[in-house]
Amino acid sequence: MARIVHYLNQFFIGAGGEDAAAQPPSSQAGAVGPGRRLAQLLGDEHEIVATVSCGDDDAAGRPEAIAEIVALIAEHQPDLVVAGPAFTSGRYGLACARVAAGAKAAGLGAVAAMHPDNPGLDEAGGAPVVASGEAARLMGPALDTLSAAVKKLLAGEVLTDADGLVGLAPRRPRMAERTAAERAVDLALTRLGGDRDATEVPLPRFDRVTPAPPIEDLRDATLAILTEGALVPDGNPGALESARATKWLRYSLEGRDELKPGEWRSVHGGFSTVWANEDPHRILPLDAARRLERDGAIGRLYQEYLVTAGNGTSVANARRFGVEWAADLRHSGARAAILTAT
Amino acid sequence: MGAPRIVPTRGIPFPAGDPSLEPAEERAWRQRLLERALEAVSTAVHAPTLFEVK
Amino acid sequence: MLIRSIHTVRGVGTGGATEWRDGTLTVSAEEAQALVAAPSLAGVKVSWASPGDAVRIVKVLDVVEPRSKGPGGGGVFPGWLGPSGPRSGRLGGPAVEGPTHVLRGAAVVVAGYLPRAQEAVIDMSGPAAELSPFGSTHNLVIEFTPAPDADWADVDDALRRGSLALAARLAEAALDAPPDEEETVPDPGPVEGLPRIGAVTNLQTQGVFKDVFVRGESFNGQAPALIDPAEIDDGAVVSGQFGHPSLRNPTWVHQNHPIAGALRARHGKDLAFAGVVLSPEPVSASEKARISAAAAQLCAEAGFEAVIVTKEGGGNADADVALKMDALEDLGIAAVGLFAEMAGPDGTGPPIVVAPEKATAMVSTGNYDTRLDLPEMERSLGGEELALLGVPATSAMQLPTAVILASLGCLGGGRLTCAQEA
Repeated sequence: MARIVHYLNQFFIGAGGEDAAAQPPSSQAGAVGPGRRLAQLLGDEHEIVATVSCGDDDAAGRPEAIAEIVALIAEHQPDLVVAGPAFTSGRYGLACARVAAGAKAAGLGAVAAMHPDNPGLDEAGGAPVVASGEAARLMGPALDTLSAAVKKLLAGEVLTDADGLVGLAPRRPRMAERTAAERAVDLALTRLGGDRDATEVPLPRFDRVTPAPPIEDLRDATLAILTEGALVPDGNPGALESARATKWLRYSLEGRDELKPGEWRSVHGGFSTVWANEDPHRILPLDAARRLERDGAIGRLYQEYLVTAGNGTSVANARRFGVEWAADLRHSGARAAILTAT
Repeated sequence: MGAPRIVPTRGIPFPAGDPSLEPAEERAWRQRLLERALEAVSTAVHAPTLFEVK
Repeated sequence: MLIRSIHTVRGVGTGGATEWRDGTLTVSAEEAQALVAAPSLAGVKVSWASPGDAVRIVKVLDVVEPRSKGPGGGGVFPGWLGPSGPRSGRLGGPAVEGPTHVLRGAAVVVAGYLPRAQEAVIDMSGPAAELSPFGSTHNLVIEFTPAPDADWADVDDALRRGSLALAARLAEAALDAPPDEEETVPDPGPVEGLPRIGAVTNLQTQGVFKDVFVRGESFNGQAPALIDPAEIDDGAVVSGQFGHPSLRNPTWVHQNHPIAGALRARHGKDLAFAGVVLSPEPVSASEKARISAAAAQLCAEAGFEAVIVTKEGGGNADADVALKMDALEDLGIAAVGLFAEMAGPDGTGPPIVVAPEKATAMVSTGNYDTRLDLPEMERSLGGEELALLGVPATSAMQLPTAVILASLGCLGGGRLTCAQEA
């Protein structure tokens, strides 16, 4: 009997929606929510012994959360950790991927499931990720794919794209049944037949983001200002990279109404920073934002700004920063953000 | 690249500024920029939308 | 209509005279050496390397399939063995009518040092044998010594003329023998109700030692052009391209054009084979864009509804495929491209150097960087040392797939591919 621990977010265990997104990690016995259907599909040889859950904002926004989740999972001594399906939910996808990566690093088998456009796709460390559809209404097919993959992994088999494997899984050489020329002819006929997605080499495409609903009353809201113009305190104490940034930083705006030239500079490698250094407000409009606050146009200005360098940033990192910023800001109560882009 | 709400600005090296203006005018331009941004976040959109500063 | 008379080579040897009898090809080494001899070559030696032999051939240059339409070649390799013949047929057609005799299972292989040639290897046994088409052919290997003070370009030219002449001479031995098979190869053209699918074949034409010839002339700087695929069968495309070993197309590969073959096999069944366009691969980005647009336009005018695009060369050549695919899609023509991946030894790097932006249908022909553990061999041909590693050519060694000749099958002739696995 194979022991499985299932990771789900607050919504799928039935604890609530966005209102419950700050919930800390928790554990309960057996299968919950979609885990029940998963257990049915897996049959008698496999048991979901526990379900571990965490609110999406906590999991994706609080640095210690993943370790806590993995610790809760490990207590049940699973043969395999299953995370998701997360569909296109960015924070949930990041959480699932990191839980799978953390479990793998702790010596446990793991697999995550999400849509191939999910920002979490490349974060699963050595753990495989299988594809799901875009939204929860596609839970049925997602669980079919996931349960088949779980069975294969527990049987010691390797997953391939035929199993729905997506993401950074290594591409290994193999001898196909037919020559590349024969397969190319098939692919041409398939494409002529209307399937414009079929390919042997999937490549990342730029995502469509679902717009957030409009803010009802800004005068009560907390606004955050952010920048990818790499504006940092003079001396760059956080060592933000000028290009291909692998991180983002935060600096306090408490007690500041303006940014004095000389105390701040842009380390962005992609444009001439002369004007930015002359007047840092050209990158981070703190003066104008404080005026909005004083005039009552917004409730308050968030007390920190978040910064990275948007120069040659990999798509995966850029996606990840965006999701982390959203999680961080929501965690802190900001409802709207203005990002200056260079 | 798919961002739903975009306020176009006047130059890559100075997204929230305009060095061709006198300092007071530049600050006024920056204020209008942020006010337009607030309008944008208060507006429902379904696809990438530009909110120009008038 | 092209007829191929196939003579299947089951055994090979050397002897007093060049002859073909009961599936065995015997070659007179003296005659062969005399055919290749030239002022720029001080010495020439021929020997056989057969499938299963513990032999490694290093510094491989071109490989040619023995084919002939008559004594002296009878029109094969136009521009080399004889003038580019009179044109006939829809696009020019084969230079000479009549069947093309093929010694299938044999190849003339030139091996030895030329400057700028990237060292290419064929193993006749072991794990690399199946990765090259020439691990399965009986190879008549021409080794050579340049004449003192000979110009390397003259050495290259002499070897080319000699190997083509030798290839024709070998097939000539079978002209009067009953063939093992007769293949009737359909001409491209429309078929009522069936989608018209064509091929664009990119040739890497980058000057001496990296050039490809069409009807005896370098294709460098030429415009994309339609060619009757029957001409390619008869040796109209000859390779002088000695760059990336795994990613180049020796003459043999053009003679056996895999894309044309795959399309012809289904002509009249579920598709109409619409034709072949040859295109150079320019070096500059603006030229690449211009040539790609011109090639796509030509395909549109020729009525192609879908096109399979192939390349020759490394990451730079990916751009030529990607641009052509996007240009074709812009004109409403479905595009499929063949790409080799450069995903690193563990397969986790970004696979494609330059990918198409709009087109998406890509076929993978394997990973350049995959490491191979190759066994010790008894004999080597083409050189005593593998210059790449500075070791004796017969040593056991580890090499990336990149070094095995034609292993990443740019024209689609191989079964090597990549798939994600975790």
